[in-house]
Amino acid sequence: MTFHPEMRYEEGLHVSRRERRDEGEPFAFTPENRQRLEAIASHYPPEHRRSAVIPALYLVQDQQGYVTASAIRHVASVIGCTEAEVDDVVTYYAMFFRKPVGRYVIQVCRTLSCALRGAERVAAELKRALGVEVGQTDPTGTFTLMEMECLGACDRAPVVMVNNELWHECQSPDQVGAMLDGLREKGPAALTGCHLEVEKKRGPAGP
Amino acid sequence: MDTVTLTIDGRSITVAKGTTVLQAAIEHGIQIPYYCYHPALGIDGSCRVCLVKIEKMPKLQTACSTLCADGMVVDTQSPEVVEARAGVFEFLLINHPLDCPVCDKGGECPLQDYSYTFGPDASRMDFPRRTFDGEGAGADVDFGPTLLINRNRCILCSRCVRFMRDIDGDPQIGIEDRGNGSHIVTFQDKGVHSILSGNLMDVCPVGALLARDYRFKSRPWDNPIAVDTVCTLCAKGCSITAWLRAKPEWAKGPRLARVTPRYNPQVNDYWMCDIGRFEYHFTESDRRLRRPLRRTDDGVLQPEGWRGVLARLREEFEAADTPGERRTIAFLASAHASIEELVVLGQIARALNGEGAERQVGVSWRVSEKPQPAGTKFKVPRVDAPNVAGAIDLGVGAPPLEDGGPDLSALKAQVEAGRVDVLYVLDPGPAGSIGDLSWVIEARAQGRIRLLVVQGVLMTDLAAAADLVLPGATYLEKDACYTNEQGIVQAASRAIAPPGDAMEDWQILVNVGAALGAGVAWASTAEIRADVAAAMPDRPGYADLPRLAFAKPAIARTWLQTSNPSERWKWDALFKDLPPVKFKGKAETSPRRDLDD
Ligand code: SF4
Ligand code: SF4
Ligand code: FES
Ligand code: FES
Repeated sequence: MTFHPEMRYEEGLHVSRRERRDEGEPFAFTPENRQRLEAIASHYPPEHRRSAVIPALYLVQDQQGYVTASAIRHVASVIGCTEAEVDDVVTYYAMFFRKPVGRYVIQVCRTLSCALRGAERVAAELKRALGVEVGQTDPTGTFTLMEMECLGACDRAPVVMVNNELWHECQSPDQVGAMLDGLREKGPAALTGCHLEVEKKRGPAGP
Repeated sequence: MDTVTLTIDGRSITVAKGTTVLQAAIEHGIQIPYYCYHPALGIDGSCRVCLVKIEKMPKLQTACSTLCADGMVVDTQSPEVVEARAGVFEFLLINHPLDCPVCDKGGECPLQDYSYTFGPDASRMDFPRRTFDGEGAGADVDFGPTLLINRNRCILCSRCVRFMRDIDGDPQIGIEDRGNGSHIVTFQDKGVHSILSGNLMDVCPVGALLARDYRFKSRPWDNPIAVDTVCTLCAKGCSITAWLRAKPEWAKGPRLARVTPRYNPQVNDYWMCDIGRFEYHFTESDRRLRRPLRRTDDGVLQPEGWRGVLARLREEFEAADTPGERRTIAFLASAHASIEELVVLGQIARALNGEGAERQVGVSWRVSEKPQPAGTKFKVPRVDAPNVAGAIDLGVGAPPLEDGGPDLSALKAQVEAGRVDVLYVLDPGPAGSIGDLSWVIEARAQGRIRLLVVQGVLMTDLAAAADLVLPGATYLEKDACYTNEQGIVQAASRAIAPPGDAMEDWQILVNVGAALGAGVAWASTAEIRADVAAAMPDRPGYADLPRLAFAKPAIARTWLQTSNPSERWKWDALFKDLPPVKFKGKAETSPRRDLDD
């Protein structure tokens, strides 16, 4: 690219060794997802449409599991900002995945409360049961194991979150096997209600 | 205007309402360091070095983001401020490489200077530094066609991000990842593609953003002589400073080290475009014309003395095809010609071709599109010449066409009809800036023009087709005035001498006028300007021409000439104990050069 007939530019003197974003398949929202995005974007004034960037990225993950460079380009054009700005957000938040992940992303909280209540042992058990390290996906492509910072349910530590919306609380290492089996068999249904169970046990007034 | 009065370090200070503590301190010469604040990029509050103690506030505050209030008592020197500030510097330096010896910014680096003044003596960091792309100069990696980035040096002030967002209008730069891993990136490493990219190197307070053009070329102490002048590469006319290397005449290599923008709120604010910043090199390029050239009978351009080429010009002009007549001569000037040059040229035309002939002088320039984002705050004009408005005001040449381009139809028609025997072209701009003159070259090749005289600075296609070539001076080699697109008359000053036998263009024109018997009597450009002023008493810009000041090369007080006036205090304050730079600037002046003396 040049701006002026007389300008001499040199390109490619040095190349950064950082990892670039996966280009991925050409990406566009499905009509349903696009509709969902428009519904979300309508919550913001038109000049702040870009505020919908986080929901838009979640929709991308809904649609193809992880965020690729093509998806970033598409999101930027749909919400009206530059790719660099979307990329900022993608790389800032740990819940946006830049590499393919399994069907269930298991995120173990490792912040203070959970750590004190034995989150490390839960993580170790998960690693053993799945045969993967943190950040890896098991060979069947079903589970990805990650460590997260505080998930906001400290009173029920240690906490494990699956796929950004399903919590599994008061987790102990010996329940791990059952949780994985449940997920394999029943899918997300295995986890719903976990939170409610705890609440029910304690009663509405709490302990 | 509403004002508030506060006390900073025991001094009572009155400032306009809405001023921040940092701005108030800068205005009054009180030293508070800062990185992320920039007068044009606003407040970010991310670097934390501007911490001050404000009475009644429990914690230290960032001066850049605290508004002055009546009765506020600010302390910038209390022990807790000094300690906290030193702590911030220690943090800024835990990952910062010891690159100063190989860093372009060394010597004019706010990180060096502020750390020296406000930082701790030693680091307590025992762990290895975090590195991104390698170490040392090896970490200078690609960041677009004009820039390199060294992420290890970055202090994440986000000035570059904000420059692209707020000034350029296309936010191409972002901060990737978070916390300790944050680093400045462009999407997919495609680099910054902007005609304003060079300004990023100015706003970056450390050596993280580097211009390829200036990389490893010199340091401030190598080019201590500075000339405040005006860029003439387009119709905007940004205020700039040209930096000269301190080196003897005989040493190899160019004398011009770089040009930087100079703050001018009327025209360019703190910025300049990449064309002005990087294209000035033509002034000292190998294609410069250094000696007058004359086409010999075997068709080769041979060096010749000034007297020889002028004699040849007179001969050709006076030679008659029909008895009792002279040859007809027409003039074509680039809009890179200054006001003075256009006046002399117009006078010659009038003397030779009769009253009103200056209107028939063709004035030509190039128009080029510069792709810029719609929201940009710094629009680079389409016209690649500094003096189109000046030519119009002086009544030289035809008014521009609707698309902003030059109207040369009258001259073209005359040339096509073979009614021009001698065509005199004045082209002191960079190659091509005069616009497309292939029709002139063609007319000469086909003999419709008998003699083509080119007064210019570069061996362009046009000069190569000429019969006589007169070497002139570029905008950095002469004191001259130009009228920018806003109608502001500005002075561009002489930074270096024209090379070889080349002369300032007005001197050449005066001598040409004398040779052709056009009787031009000016002895200096000051006289020309006085005449213009006298002829246009009701045009303020022109009436004030005699009072326009030209800067002389002077020892730079380094960042005193910075584009960012709020950074000047540090050169006044920080180094007042050190002896001034040891080089002596040589003032270069330009007396009239008559051929006969
Ligand atoms: S940025 Fe400044 S402090 Fe850092 S290496 Fe360069 S000159 Fe030294
Ligand atoms: S590259 Fe320079 S301007 Fe940009 S954030 Fe880093 S230090 Fe600031
Ligand atoms: S510490 Fe684990 S959820 Fe808060
Ligand atoms: S200048 Fe105040 S925080 Fe950076």
